[in-house]
Amino acid sequence: MSADDDHWMFYFDPNRCIGCHACSVSCKQRHNRDADADDWRTVSHVSSGEYPDFREVPISMSCMHCHDAPCEQVCPPDAIIKREEDGIVTVDRDRCIGCHYCAWACPFGAPTYDEEGLMSKCNLCLGEGPGGGHGQPERQTPEEGGAVPACVDDCVGGAIKAGPKSEIMQEVSEEAAERFEQGAYEGRVIVEPLKEDGEMADSIRNGDELNIVDMAR
Amino acid sequence: MSTTISVLSAALAAAGNSEVIWHPADYWDLSIPVYLFLAVVAGGAYLTGASACLIRSLRGKGACCLETEIARWGFLVAIAAAAGAGLAVLSHLAVIYRAILFPIYLTNFDSWITIGTWILVLLSLFAVVCLLLQLFGEHAASDEGASLFPRTIVAWVSPVLLETIDGLVDRVRPPMSVFAGLHLLGSLFALGTIYTGFELAIVDTVPLWNDPVIIPALFLTSGVAAGIGATLALTMLFEREIGPVFAGYALTVSLLSAVSLALLYYGWILLAASDAPAAAASYATLTDGWYYVGAWLVVLGFVAPMIIGLVIGLATFADRLSPTLERVGGPALIGSFGLLLVGGLLFRILLLLAAAQNPLVVIG
Ligand code: SF4
Ligand code: SF4
Repeated sequence: MSADDDHWMFYFDPNRCIGCHACSVSCKQRHNRDADADDWRTVSHVSSGEYPDFREVPISMSCMHCHDAPCEQVCPPDAIIKREEDGIVTVDRDRCIGCHYCAWACPFGAPTYDEEGLMSKCNLCLGEGPGGGHGQPERQTPEEGGAVPACVDDCVGGAIKAGPKSEIMQEVSEEAAERFEQGAYEGRVIVEPLKEDGEMADSIRNGDELNIVDMAR
Repeated sequence: MSTTISVLSAALAAAGNSEVIWHPADYWDLSIPVYLFLAVVAGGAYLTGASACLIRSLRGKGACCLETEIARWGFLVAIAAAAGAGLAVLSHLAVIYRAILFPIYLTNFDSWITIGTWILVLLSLFAVVCLLLQLFGEHAASDEGASLFPRTIVAWVSPVLLETIDGLVDRVRPPMSVFAGLHLLGSLFALGTIYTGFELAIVDTVPLWNDPVIIPALFLTSGVAAGIGATLALTMLFEREIGPVFAGYALTVSLLSAVSLALLYYGWILLAASDAPAAAASYATLTDGWYYVGAWLVVLGFVAPMIIGLVIGLATFADRLSPTLERVGGPALIGSFGLLLVGGLLFRILLLLAAAQNPLVVIG
């Protein structure tokens, strides 16, 4: 239950994220999207406790280009495609009917809908703008001449990485790799364990005693 | 639906949890529960029409009888409900023409929306054919009854047109075996409207919906009961006398309502026992303020036809229908079917409004 080795994935390290929103802003700029359009990449601040035991952790999320792409499975006109060649999940806006079924299916709240009512989301900077990834040739790594995804490029703390699974796995900690292999997040994204505050991580995993703010786009 | 979210936060806070701001689950508007409901009502009404035809031939009755009247109303309700369902779902879409061109665009047969579109369209076609066969032709021309009003409309447009259609229908009227096959196939599509439940049940992110048995079964039993109820209510408005045919249908609605109630109770227990945060959030919403009132209205919508249908059905079959019961029985049944329709729709609206997606967290 995991991506193919040559399929692209995201990696996130909450220990390095400072919650500056540079990733979501640069995503908007790269894709030439209006400032008030819904974010393809969101930054949420998850907190627990009260002063002086107050803790806050920022989390940056987008479409994770899931290996099993639940959105693709429900999309009636096959507008969503999980590409064989690089694993990137793209949207063909010339087929989308705007039914919003993908939003219910997505575990990460990634699909957004513009004023036309059509779906758009992160395309791992395979192309630019809504639907820009559809029909593009196979994603190249920066070494091969491909663009670095905007969020990765502009992340101040180096908290986000993206690339073929085999390459990403070499850059992550042993602990993160092990958890990923064991099926954490259903193999859809690789996440570094939160080191400073294990207790908070537990409470977050259990979904209790926490505030999640800035979730709304 | 931002109100839903704030109600939910308040409810959770009241339950002793810290304030939680969820990702707003507002992807569908109220046209979707209307669509989900009317599609199954169409199925239930079709089943009523088809079964009335079957009962008529089993009882060896001629074309002009109560069963024919029920059949016509059944197919009429089926068509109206399917049209309403179609309009409701189209009103929600961003690109309507692509949905209208569904044989070209809706190519993902793993998606319940695609499967459902075909089921609804085919059911509508079957209902139209069946209605035409009941509404026109020599038998219908010599019959009378309120359900024949479309004939009056056609005659008003052009008496020649009515004569032409009557002749045409008589010419193409299939033999009994083909008729039976038609009803059987149509009934399969009518039962296929259970797809509306699967549309929600497969959504992993919403624990309130994510049950592959209870939600589809409840959608089917409650919707079919409402479809039968709507057909019977219309028939009874013009044919007041309660006979064994009415009683049989009333008992069927009573049974389906009882099954719906049992499923609802079981689903409620499961929801209350779930420790998934989003399930707890949905539970908190449904036990708060107007949602709670709505939830009880849904229960009432099942309880009323269950009891009234049982009493009148059994009394009729036991030949113990007192004059008083006979007098109040019709209006009571019609009222209970009205409640059933309100409850069935409200049930789906509440399912949408109380839906909470699992909190989105990607962290250590
Ligand atoms: S994150 Fe959501 S939109 Fe992206 S591939 Fe997964 S299910 Fe689809
Ligand atoms: S909104 Fe568009 S992309 Fe999403 S499921 Fe519907 S048709 Fe597919």
